[in-house]
Amino acid sequence: MKEIKVKFILNGSPIEVLSSPNRTLLDVLREDLGLTGAKDACGGEGECGACTVISNGKPINSCLVFIGQVEGAQVLTIEGITPKDGYHPLQKAFVEAGAVQCGYCIPGAVLVAKALLDTNPHPGDREIKEGLSGNLCRCTGYQKMVDAVHLVIDGGLDD
Amino acid sequence: MTERIAAIGRSAIRKDAWDKAAGKALYTADIPVDDLSLGSIVRSPYHYARIKEIDRTEALKVPGVKAILTVDDIPGAKIFGPLIEDQPSLADGIVRHLGEPVALVIAETRTAAEKARDKVKVTYQELDPVFDPVEAAASASSQLHPEGNVVSELHICEGDPEGGFQAADVILENTFHLPRISPGYMEPETSLAVWEKDGTVTVWVSSQHPFTDQAVIAAALDLPIDKVRVKSAVIGGAFGGKEDSSLAILAALGAWKVSGAFRLVNDRRESFLAHPKRHPAQIKYKLGAAQDGTITALEAEAYLDTGAYASYGPAVAMILTETLGGSYRMPNVKIDTYCVYTNSPISGAMRGFGSPQAHFAVESTLDLLAEELGMDPIEIRAKNILKPGDDIFTRVRMNNSAGALAACLEKGSQLLKEYQAVEPQEGKKAGVGLALAAQSMGLGANIPDDSSHKLEWAPDGRILIHLGSPDLGQGLAAAAEQITAEALGLPYDQIQSLPLDTLETPNGNVTCASRMTYMVGNALIDAAAKLVQSLIEQAGRLLEIPAEDLVYQEGKLIKPDGTSLPAVEFISRLAEDSIKLSAESTFSFPYPADTTPQHLPLGMPHVLFCFGAQVARVEVDPDLGTVEVTHFAAIHDVGKVINRQGVEGQIEGGVATGLGYALYENMVRKNEVWVDGFTEYLLPTAVDLPENYQTIILEVPEESGPYGAKGIGEIPLVPTAPAVANALYDAMKVRIFDLPITPEKVLGLDK
Repeated sequence: MKEIKVKFILNGSPIEVLSSPNRTLLDVLREDLGLTGAKDACGGEGECGACTVISNGKPINSCLVFIGQVEGAQVLTIEGITPKDGYHPLQKAFVEAGAVQCGYCIPGAVLVAKALLDTNPHPGDREIKEGLSGNLCRCTGYQKMVDAVHLVIDGGLDD
Repeated sequence: MTERIAAIGRSAIRKDAWDKAAGKALYTADIPVDDLSLGSIVRSPYHYARIKEIDRTEALKVPGVKAILTVDDIPGAKIFGPLIEDQPSLADGIVRHLGEPVALVIAETRTAAEKARDKVKVTYQELDPVFDPVEAAASASSQLHPEGNVVSELHICEGDPEGGFQAADVILENTFHLPRISPGYMEPETSLAVWEKDGTVTVWVSSQHPFTDQAVIAAALDLPIDKVRVKSAVIGGAFGGKEDSSLAILAALGAWKVSGAFRLVNDRRESFLAHPKRHPAQIKYKLGAAQDGTITALEAEAYLDTGAYASYGPAVAMILTETLGGSYRMPNVKIDTYCVYTNSPISGAMRGFGSPQAHFAVESTLDLLAEELGMDPIEIRAKNILKPGDDIFTRVRMNNSAGALAACLEKGSQLLKEYQAVEPQEGKKAGVGLALAAQSMGLGANIPDDSSHKLEWAPDGRILIHLGSPDLGQGLAAAAEQITAEALGLPYDQIQSLPLDTLETPNGNVTCASRMTYMVGNALIDAAAKLVQSLIEQAGRLLEIPAEDLVYQEGKLIKPDGTSLPAVEFISRLAEDSIKLSAESTFSFPYPADTTPQHLPLGMPHVLFCFGAQVARVEVDPDLGTVEVTHFAAIHDVGKVINRQGVEGQIEGGVATGLGYALYENMVRKNEVWVDGFTEYLLPTAVDLPENYQTIILEVPEESGPYGAKGIGEIPLVPTAPAVANALYDAMKVRIFDLPITPEKVLGLDK
C-alpha cells in the first residue's frame, strides 16, 4: 500500500509522518515514534480506553483513528502532559490516591480525566465516573481513580 | 536517637506508580529492541479436529517472512503443563479447542507476520466436539486425551452423611451453574526473547512464575537451564491467568530460530481463546439442618469444565471441594468432584481458585435454609459459623485467627440493618443480602511451598530487595519494602525492590494463593536479622570490638561506650574491600502438627484462611428486571495492615470483579464461536459501581504472619455474587441458581 504523508501537532511540536494509510494513530505512536504510554488492551475495538490520547481537546481511542484522520490535529499523549522534571497534577493525584496498581490503564485514565477537567473544572462524582466509564480497569474497582480526580479538584495534593 | 519509624500500616506511596502514571513504565510490549522480529500465531478455527496437512508454501512467499514453525520444528519438549504435561506448544496432529496454536510465523514486521499467518493452509478433518463436562465425563466415544476425559476426581466421605440427613428436619437440594470468566487483565499476554551470541536466550515475561517459564523454555529448546535467563517486565495484571507459560515458550522458539530478537503479543481475542479462565462449574448442593438451624449434613457433586487441557484444573477442583463447606461447621460430609476435559477453551487458575464457585452454592443455600426454617439469615450463620478450635471436614483445625469470622459477621449484620432502613426509589424494589467467605492461603499441605528472597545493603546505604516472586501490579514490592523498612528500622525511601531476573534473584515461587505478603514478609524479616548479624560481625572486625558488644538500631551501630556510628559507613568501607553485605532467606509455608492431620481425606488441605463478609443492597426495576447495587460493604480481616491503600485497593478491585461475576460476565459460545472481546464480554466500568461503597478492615493477628499479617488477594471477590443474589431474593423473591444475574432471569423469562 502506498504510504501517505501526514502532518499534525504532536505534544506541541509539528510533526510529519510517512505511513501506510491503513495504520492507526496508535500503531504510529507506538511503533514509529516510540511513544508507548498509549496501550492496546482490547485489540482495536475501542472498548478499553487504554490507548486514549487527546485530539483537539477531546479524548479519543487512538486505535480507532486511521493515521490520515489526524492531519492538522493537535494530539496530546501521556508523554506530552508529563513535565520534564516532574508530574502533571493528575499524575500526582493518581499516584497519591493509590489509584495505580498494574498501571496499564492509567495513562489513558489520566488523559480522560485531564480532558474532563479542561472542559468541566468541577465535576461531581457522577460526572467523574461517567468520564472514566470508557476506561476499563481490572485492578482498582475505580474507587481510587475517582478519589484522585477529587484530589485535584479540591486541591488536596501533597506538595 | 531518631524517632521509631512506623513503616507498616500506613499508605506508603508505591515507587513504581510514578513511571506508570507517566507512561514510562516498560511492559513487555514496550521494551525497545533493535532488529526485532515479530510474530503471529496460526490458530485453530475448529473446536476439535485432526490436522491432515500444514502447507506453508504460499505463506513463506510473503515478503519479510523469516520462518514458519510447526510442532516438528521444536527441538525439545513439545508439551508442557503446570500439573499434567498435556498441552502442546504447537498442535501435534490434533486441535482440541478453538484458538489452539498450530503454527508460529516469524517475520520482519507485524503486517508481514499477519499476512503470512492468513496464507498458511491447514487442512483439518473436523471431529464432534463435546462441551458439557457431565456428558464428557460419561462419554466413552469422544475421548480428548488417552487417559479419558476425567482429569481428576475427589471423593470425600467424613462422618456419617446418611445419618446426618436422617437427623435433619429440613433438607434442601439445588443445582448451581457458574459461568466461564476471563481474568480480564488489561495487558494481554506478551513475551520478548533475545537469542544472545553466546548461545543463551534472555526472555522477558509477563508472568506469575518466571522460574517455571525458565524451566519449560529450557525443556522446549533442549537447553541446560542455565542457558535460559528470564526477566520480569512490568506486569499489567494477572489474577491467576498468567500462571501458565505458553507464550514464553513460543517467543523463545522464535528467537532461537532467527538467532535474534523476537516478540510475540496476543491480541485480546487470542487472550480470550488461549489463556486460562475461571472454571465453569455445575454444583449439586444438598444441605440438611435441624429445626434450630444446626447443619447436620452436606452432600455435593461438582463438575468443573477444565477445557482442552488440564492447566491448574485438578488443584482448582481441590480448593472448590475444600471450600464447599464455606465458613461453617459441617459434621457429616459427602462430596464427589470431577474435573473434566472438554473442547472448551482452557480453564485454570483465577483469583479465588474454585472458592467463588463453591461459595455461591454455600451462601445461597444458607439463605434458602434460613427461609425454610423461618430464621434470620444472620442467626443461622451465627449458629454454624467456624470458631477457633473447630475442625473442618478436611480434619484441619481452625487456629485463633478464625475468631475474625464472627467479628466479620457481627459488623456485616450491623450494616445489613442500616441498609434495610434505606427507602427505595419510587417504582423500585429494594433488598439486602449478606454472604461470608473463607478463602484458603498457601498452596496446600504436601505441596512444596518455599519462597526465597534476598536483601542487599548497597554502598550508597540503600537496601535492595531481590524479590523472588513478581509483583503483578497488586503492590507486592511496596509491601516488601515496608516490611523491610520496619524490620531494619530504616526509612521506606531507602528500600528498593528490584525486578526479578532468574540469573540474580532467588526463587520466591509463584505469585499466587493469597500468600505473598505472608511468605515474602516472613522471609524478609528473617533476612533482615541475618543482614544485621553480618553487619555486626564485619563492623566488629573493623573496629576490633567483639561482635556481641555491638548493638544495631535503626541504621546505626551502638558501641559499648554508648556512642554510635552510621551503618552505611561500614557498608561503604566493606565495599572498598569488595565485600558485599547481603542475606537470603527461605520461608516455608508452615503446617503445624497440631492443626494439620496426618491422615487426610483431601490431598492438599489448607490450614490458614482469610475471612470476610460482604453486604449488598440492591434496587430492582420490577418491569425491566435491571439490578442496581446501590450500597455495598466489604468487611475483611487481614491480620495486620501493611500498606493501607494497597489493602483497600485489593478489596475495591476484588469487589468490582465480584460484581462482574454477579451481574455481567460470561464467556459463552454463540453461533459456534466463543465471545472473545470486551464488546460482548462486559467488565464492570466506573459507572457500574455502588454509589455507597465502604471497605472495613479488621486486624485479628495471625501468629505466624509477618507482624501478624495474612493475605487479601483473592477473598474480596468471593462473597460478592452470593451477597448480591441474596439481596435480589430479598427484593424480588427470585432465587438465582446460575450466574450472571440477568434481567431475563430476574423476570423469569430465561426458561
